[in-house]
Amino acid sequence: MENQHTKNWYDRYYKIALILPALVLILSIFYLYNFTQRTGDIIYKDVTLTGGTTITVFDGEVDLDKVRADLKINFPDLRVREISDILTGKSSGFSLTTKAEVGEIRPALESYLGYELTGENSSVEFSGASLSSGFYSQLKYALLLSFLLMAAVVFVIFRDFVPSFIVVLAAFADIVMTIAVVDMLGIQLSSAGIIAFLMLIGYSVDTDILLTTRLIRKTEGGTINQRIYDALKTGMTMTLTSIAAVGVSLLLIYNFSDTLRQIFTILLIGLGFDIFNTWISNASLLKWHMEAKKR
Amino acid sequence: MKLTWRMWVLGIALILSVITIFNINSSVKLLVLILLTGSLFALHKFEGKKSLLLFIILLVVSALLIFSSFESGVVIKSLDKESDFFKQGLRNGEIIKSLNGNKVENMEDYFNVLQGIDVNPNDTVKFEIDTTRNSHIIFTNETPNFIVRDVSKTNIQTGLDLRGGARALVQPSEKINDAGLEELIQISRNRFNVYGLSDVQISGVSDLQGNRYMLVEVAGATPKDLEELVSQQGKFEAKIDNKTVFEGGKKDISRVCRNDASCAIITSCLQNSDESYFCNFRFTIYLNEGAAERHADVTRDLSVDDTGQYLSEKLYLYVDDQEVDSLLVGVDLRGQVTTQISIQGSGAGATREDAYNSARESMNKLQTVLITGSLPYKLEIVKLDTISPTLGGDFINLILMAGAVAIILVAIIIFIRYRKVKASAALLLTSFSELIIILGVASFIKWNLDLPSIAGILAVIGTGVDSQIVILDEAEKKNQSSSIKQKIKIALFVIMTAYITNVASLIPLYWAGAGLFKGFMITTIIGVTAGVFISRPAFADIIKRIGGE
Repeated sequence: MENQHTKNWYDRYYKIALILPALVLILSIFYLYNFTQRTGDIIYKDVTLTGGTTITVFDGEVDLDKVRADLKINFPDLRVREISDILTGKSSGFSLTTKAEVGEIRPALESYLGYELTGENSSVEFSGASLSSGFYSQLKYALLLSFLLMAAVVFVIFRDFVPSFIVVLAAFADIVMTIAVVDMLGIQLSSAGIIAFLMLIGYSVDTDILLTTRLIRKTEGGTINQRIYDALKTGMTMTLTSIAAVGVSLLLIYNFSDTLRQIFTILLIGLGFDIFNTWISNASLLKWHMEAKKR
Repeated sequence: MKLTWRMWVLGIALILSVITIFNINSSVKLLVLILLTGSLFALHKFEGKKSLLLFIILLVVSALLIFSSFESGVVIKSLDKESDFFKQGLRNGEIIKSLNGNKVENMEDYFNVLQGIDVNPNDTVKFEIDTTRNSHIIFTNETPNFIVRDVSKTNIQTGLDLRGGARALVQPSEKINDAGLEELIQISRNRFNVYGLSDVQISGVSDLQGNRYMLVEVAGATPKDLEELVSQQGKFEAKIDNKTVFEGGKKDISRVCRNDASCAIITSCLQNSDESYFCNFRFTIYLNEGAAERHADVTRDLSVDDTGQYLSEKLYLYVDDQEVDSLLVGVDLRGQVTTQISIQGSGAGATREDAYNSARESMNKLQTVLITGSLPYKLEIVKLDTISPTLGGDFINLILMAGAVAIILVAIIIFIRYRKVKASAALLLTSFSELIIILGVASFIKWNLDLPSIAGILAVIGTGVDSQIVILDEAEKKNQSSSIKQKIKIALFVIMTAYITNVASLIPLYWAGAGLFKGFMITTIIGVTAGVFISRPAFADIIKRIGGE
């Protein structure tokens, strides 16, 4: 057998391999706990969740360093970003974000630029503070509810506590680890970013369901290791195609749309962790469970 | 090559989607429907090369037919209810096919014809407008000032965040119930109509916390006064000696003169000392009896001012407790039951034209609040997005490009993994057909595809490819006792389970965030449902066929 060697290797080390994801999960939880203590929330929120204004001006001729320096005096939390076309590299404008209300930042920017901002030369997005914090708590609630519904469905379908629990745990680990990395990168989450976590629940459970079905179905032939290996081949193809598609989309959209960039970044991080959590944690735990049951 | 019933279902779903997506007239639609169904029969009936050739020929003919018969003309997007064009029968949404005997295929044609027509306010001109619904003959001295747009080639509608436009989420100052929200929407809708903005969508939304909002959406360029128009309570009061004489709305005012030069005009434009201009306007309103008698009561005991021409107290006009103007009241009106009152005001600007436009806008705003009356609540704009249409086209191109590149990459990975051209091609075609079905259903239910919707489509394509890989791999597995049929049954179980978890996890999005992220949920659910029940079973059949060979 070609994979005789790997099998032996796998049988010997699969329990020890669990230390790695366990460690990462514990560190992530610890980091998030610390982060929450320090900043008062589990993520950095952008203006769509705290309230504030984003103005995008379609004028590629403006000196952004100067804008930043000049307007920062009155708007200390101001962030300025260039918007450019990935293919030509040409700057097509800039966007600026602040917690200030649109009525404050808009006149300041207009007097700085020396022309009026109209519906043609600019886009303005404003959210009030109370609405945004309402959105935030609702989206958090939606995310939690989604997770619980997903877990319920998994339990109902597999009707077997341990395997179901392992699937849900793997999805949980995906999300926790991804949030930790997003925080480490200093990404300010928007409402769209939270939606990305919703997408992540769907994506991450896919491979876990595949693995679990292949492993616990009695009609499946072959040894446990063989079934894991088969599932791994399928699952890795699934995840790799997703990573390729998301990666290339991220590259193309990077300097164009904040919303899509954030969604793709989060998916990319999450899909990476999904490989880790499905094929190390879920596979090893389930194998452990099944070996124990055999005896 | 016999088609299985699952393949038929997928084929029919695709045909229906295609004829829903493209904006072609119904006879062409029927023809395309017949041709495409014929192409399926060709596949079903004949064998080998012959069937494939016939299939491709019919496909190409249908494509040519579709691309040569898009609806042409310009569609009316915004038409003032007070204009002669509206009064003589023209309506929003009609598609203009010809103007004064000249064929109109696009906006360019339309404006070329329009330029050739000499309109001036003193002369009545005849307009012959043929639309898809009707032939209109309209006599007017007005310039056609409605907004037109090219008829779109597809029925796919993009959301404001892609196409450009404005969106305001408005919250009343106090908690209201559904009836209250409905009333608010009615008044606001009326106000937009009176003001002359008709391409406005107003709807009520509520969120998970039970807050109710009014969602106002305007497509295309953002109207300058949107903020004011949306959030203004519009409480109009006219006071003399601090006593209210009349208020805006039907209770006190029977008619407001507008768009009639005999009683609503810009009276004069003058230059200030600092070289800027100001223009005055005046229009007549007619009071109901009650208000007219109140006027008599309030003015009866007033004295005359120094000039002897006017009363000592002026008539003050307030909008939302802000004084907008004050008018002198002639002596001869003292104690009179007057039903006819002249309202005046002015607008200023750097140039004469600016001042003129400003005066016209002020007059329109004042007329609007006088006609529609006050809103029952004070309103606050809690969210206001105005998206420029400038980048919309670029953005859609970029998304399409990203999609194309992503599909090619996925195709390469699939081919490297399986080394089977037929199976890989079938996989890609299935993913592509899921996209077509989503677009078809979105066109059918007139869903506006916004950024969250596009994220949803991406999620569907992603999970779709995943599911098909599961099917392929189950079918590929060797050295096992179970038949290919059983293996595919297992694959479909995995897919179904993933589907149910996916749909369940999306449900909360319907309400969260006042439904602004609903698009993600809608497109994802349409897509994965079509995937699980239509395209992926058909794909499984195709793989069985390929595997069985």
